[in-house]
Amino acid sequence: MIATPLAAPLLTVVGAGGVGKTTLAAALGVVSAEEGADTLVMTFDPSRRLKDALRVEDAAGDRVVQVPLEAPGRLDVSLLDARATFDRLVAQYAPDRAAAERIYRNRFYDQLAGHLAGVLEYMAVERLFEVAAAGQYARVVLDTPPTRQALDFLEAPDRIVGFLDSGALRLALRPWFTTDGRLKRGKVRRRVADLLDSIVGLNLLRDMAEFFQAFAPLYDGFRARAREVQRLLRDPKTRFLVVSAPGEARIPDTLFFARRLRQGGHHVAALAVNQVHPPVGRDTGARPAAPADGVGVLAWLAERDARGLAALRRLVTDGTPVADLPLLPTPPTGLPALGALGRELLHRLDAAPPPPRGRTGRRRRG
Amino acid sequence: MTSPLAGRELLVVTGKGGVGKSTLAAAVARALAAGGRRTLVLEVDPRETQHVLLDTEPSDGAILAAGHDVWLQNLRPRDEIEALVRRRIPIALVARAVAASPVFHHFVESAPGLKELAILGHALRLARGEIGPGVDTVVLDAPATGHGVSLLAAPLLVAEVLGDGPVAQLAREIAAFVAAPDRCGVVVATLAEEMPVQETLELAEMLVTRIGRPPDLVAVNALYPVWPRRRPPGPRDALELWRQRRAVNDEELTRLRGHWRGAVAELPLIAAAAGPALVATLAGELAPALAIGGAA
Repeated sequence: MIATPLAAPLLTVVGAGGVGKTTLAAALGVVSAEEGADTLVMTFDPSRRLKDALRVEDAAGDRVVQVPLEAPGRLDVSLLDARATFDRLVAQYAPDRAAAERIYRNRFYDQLAGHLAGVLEYMAVERLFEVAAAGQYARVVLDTPPTRQALDFLEAPDRIVGFLDSGALRLALRPWFTTDGRLKRGKVRRRVADLLDSIVGLNLLRDMAEFFQAFAPLYDGFRARAREVQRLLRDPKTRFLVVSAPGEARIPDTLFFARRLRQGGHHVAALAVNQVHPPVGRDTGARPAAPADGVGVLAWLAERDARGLAALRRLVTDGTPVADLPLLPTPPTGLPALGALGRELLHRLDAAPPPPRGRTGRRRRG
Repeated sequence: MTSPLAGRELLVVTGKGGVGKSTLAAAVARALAAGGRRTLVLEVDPRETQHVLLDTEPSDGAILAAGHDVWLQNLRPRDEIEALVRRRIPIALVARAVAASPVFHHFVESAPGLKELAILGHALRLARGEIGPGVDTVVLDAPATGHGVSLLAAPLLVAEVLGDGPVAQLAREIAAFVAAPDRCGVVVATLAEEMPVQETLELAEMLVTRIGRPPDLVAVNALYPVWPRRRPPGPRDALELWRQRRAVNDEELTRLRGHWRGAVAELPLIAAAAGPALVATLAGELAPALAIGGAA
């Protein structure tokens, strides 16, 4: 990856679910280590096949495992366990053990993560910050979590800071409840509390108030951390690879995502369209004769994907390289296959048309 | 055997993003309508796509007709919860002020199960004919986030957390509805590839643990055509890709059936872009699976 757009100390692979992010992150990790860089791949929930390919099948959550790869550089993999990281951060920032315990026991804590999309995943990225700060690796490849909309993940820091800053927290910190568990007086508080009580009952309200109070001592630590992770992800040394599924229908989403990344101050190095159906050496020009005609179906898919790719290349006008990767007959099942996939991606990025003169590919917002 | 899926009041179509969940939800609705059931597709993704599949305008919250015996509504859960507030607070000005306050906003966003409860409650009222055009079945194109389990488990969770009060009572009623095998059905959309099959098996297991019932049907989408006994004519590379992709499909179908003993619908990869034509073809393919009951 030397001298390619992806040659960065921190490489983040992003895209919608099911597009092959995790496999590509692993493939780039293999190439990076083969080129001599000590590399860490941080990933979420890889498939069994990929774990087998990396030979890290026994790796438990949150631990760093060395991949048995014969290469000049070392290749480590860390499987992120979001909940474990969140729990650890609570323990780290809580003033004492009892305060941490109060949070763990709170029913609301369990729910918080699921209802603030991306927060748990973001918490796992806290690990990234620790790794980057330790400076043990020449390169870190970060595979982002499979959120419905990949943006959830990047917006999570803003969301958690917003949530912590919100009136909900401030109101909760001025306790609604007296020490004997009855609602305090006060007009506005009373109005909202009465309403919420009439809808959901006081039990839940009490749980929430308790949670926010327990969380208060952690507030500054979390906030500062969220800011630092944001800064790291926006650093010019951090590059993003946007992975897209093939087909015309996916193009608007991919473009939208790349644009939003840039607007957020992130550096998009390249777009990869994955699992493109290769051209069939037969000019069909029409729909297959019958659904059972596999060659006809593949020809149709190849034409669909070619149209999508052409549209994407036409619409990316800022010089960002676009690489297409063909659909493989079977998913990669070993380190050599992963390495080959990674080299193929870099080769295709190299072969992508160079950016037009006078453009940097890092368009200013607006 | 339980009752046919086609006779239920609510069919929840769930599955991960990218497997064709929304297309299958639209196809289920078309198949039911073809069998004489008045059917409404309820979409909860704020980014509307169902109108493209059902060949109508974006719903923008309204109930729209979408061809013979099919309707579409894109539901905003927040609107539902605000409607609940309005019913509780008769003074419109106060209701608006409450709904607009950041405290309320964050409460709705973070209170466990409230949004999910609002979605299912709305579906139940539609199916009972209390609102809407009077439909026989609601097909819920469930949110892709998580597994769809949290949606179905929400009523139980809310009932448990709240204990008593009007919402807890509503939650218990909806939980009973979701648990009734003759009233509510769960269809899981998936692909015959490793991760989607793995997630489907986990989903089936979690449904049993969390709400006490398995899905009724696993719909395996986009299968490559069966590799024929005699090698067909054609370019070598394409034939090889076809043979091997189908082999991956077969391997994963075998794994699925090895762990999942319920009904499976195998749906072919169709050479058509996501749209009404694809939906019509898939509706025909799905009809037999909807006419029979899921194995209990």
